[in-house]
Amino acid sequence: MPRVKAILLKEWAEAIRIKMVLFSVAFLPLFMTGFATYLVWQGKALPEEARAALLNTSLMYFFILPVVIPLSIAAYSIVGEKEQGTLEPLLATPIRDWELFLGKALGPVVPGLILSWGAFGLFLLAAKVILGAIPKGVLSLPWLLSIFALAPFLALFAVFVTMIVSSRTTDVRAAYQFSSLAVLPALIPLLVYIGRLTAVNLTFVGIEAGIVVSLNVATLYIAVKLFRREEILTRWK
Amino acid sequence: MIRTEGLTRRFGGVVAVEDLSFEVRTGEIVALLGPNGAGKTTTVRMLSCLIAPTSGRAWVNGRELHEDPSYIRATVGVLTETPGLYRRLSAWHNLRFFADLYGVRGAEEKIEEYLRFFGLWERRNDPVATYSKGMRQKLALARALLHEPKVLLLDEPTAGLDPESARSVREFISELKGEGRAILLCTHNLPEAERLCDRIVLLRTRLIAQGTPEELKRRLFGTRVVVELANPSPELVSSLGIPEARSAELVGEKLYVEVTDPRRDNPVLVRRLVELGAEIIAVREAETTLEDVYHELMGGADAQG
Ligand SMILES: Nc1ncnc2c1ncn2[C@@H]1O[C@H](COP(=O)(O)OP(=O)(O)O)[C@@H](O)[C@H]1O
Ligand SMILES: [Mg+2]
Repeated sequence: MPRVKAILLKEWAEAIRIKMVLFSVAFLPLFMTGFATYLVWQGKALPEEARAALLNTSLMYFFILPVVIPLSIAAYSIVGEKEQGTLEPLLATPIRDWELFLGKALGPVVPGLILSWGAFGLFLLAAKVILGAIPKGVLSLPWLLSIFALAPFLALFAVFVTMIVSSRTTDVRAAYQFSSLAVLPALIPLLVYIGRLTAVNLTFVGIEAGIVVSLNVATLYIAVKLFRREEILTRWK
Repeated sequence: MIRTEGLTRRFGGVVAVEDLSFEVRTGEIVALLGPNGAGKTTTVRMLSCLIAPTSGRAWVNGRELHEDPSYIRATVGVLTETPGLYRRLSAWHNLRFFADLYGVRGAEEKIEEYLRFFGLWERRNDPVATYSKGMRQKLALARALLHEPKVLLLDEPTAGLDPESARSVREFISELKGEGRAILLCTHNLPEAERLCDRIVLLRTRLIAQGTPEELKRRLFGTRVVVELANPSPELVSSLGIPEARSAELVGEKLYVEVTDPRRDNPVLVRRLVELGAEIIAVREAETTLEDVYHELMGGADAQG
């Protein structure tokens, strides 16, 4: 897949040269990690049980990062091609529609996941330093599954939504703002947890996974249809 | 190399190109000449397998369009209407990316070769955002050539350039000729078409006419003779009355007469003029410019459409 690789390298070379993207990619993980760490530090005098609850709340932040980081990269990656008029020469090459689609999808997802997980590792490290040990019940299977298994789907969902939104606008900011709605499914656990509706258990993660995967299938279907050569050249605005 | 038969493309109710048939052979530059909205870009997009024709057929590099789009894309070089370069990336980076997409072998050497050819080598590491329009156009041409395509489609290569850059881009294009390539050059610039191209295809949604510039002129105007007169008068024109003069028009002191065969018709014409009392200073063949042809043909198309 040399062409997918070429797209990925180009995407990243461009992304690091764009201030808005670089800001959200570098600043957001650091900000979220810092905030989560601050919460833990605040609660370091609390009893063990309360501490665990606080830590669980902090974990939510690492559920949002995999959506938010790819969003900004993806918004630029598509609208940027339009703005610069590069779609036509790009589509004139022998690249296949699916190769372009894959490159455009993975371009934002890969750094999004690496940075989210990196931030999570940083947070665990900070919590360990502050508390001496990570409280029991925090690194439970449901949470780990959420953060590691659901994150890729959340990230992909964000990208598919951005692809769909971007095909209809030439304004990066508008694309970014509309696509931000993609963060909603990632907020479900937060709402549930805050509302104390249920504990984050395997059933809950399963339901969430079901929702996210269905959303992925639906948006993937639309995005793939929009990503055909002829469609891009004649219908995209 | 390129051949089309009844190529047609509609966008909803809009007919962009209709029933277009023409050919570009190896070693030839053919101009696709027409005003804005004539369907030039649409034709280029069909020939580079970017959009499908509504009807009609076309062959590029020996394959029919729908038969093997990947092969056609891999062997055709396109200069799109706008240069379409990544502004934040350097010239070198832009070319490297496209070289990878085309699977160019020995990409680094090729990139250097073309950057030097277009005089961009010294600036290769600067972001394209810092380039002038002319430099961008040259870089876009370099990109179109990188994979050594046998067929080149150039969509208005000099549009929007200052005269100096336009001239240098034209010089590069004329150097590309005769390397076994077939080049289709879209333009609305008449002198450009006449200077660079072997043949001209006049397009305005439909094919208006095609041929070498000479053929087009002759077909339309026959051969025109200018007779310079010391005593020009409108009566000369009205009383000429010989079949050899297909048309006659007096402009200032010059009488333009259209004849079929100068060797046979000129002596008759001169004799007749002398009979009518004309004092002839000089007789020579008139130059018809392609512009005359263009306006004649496009004017006619206007009247019809
Ligand atoms: N994607 C499109 N959707 C609708 N109409 C189009 C589209 N592309 C071109 N057209 C129409 O087709 C005609 C020919 O356009 P074009 O090929 O761009 O002409 P040219 O390149 O000669 O200026 C125009 O009337 C234009 O409005
Ligand atoms: Mg055009």
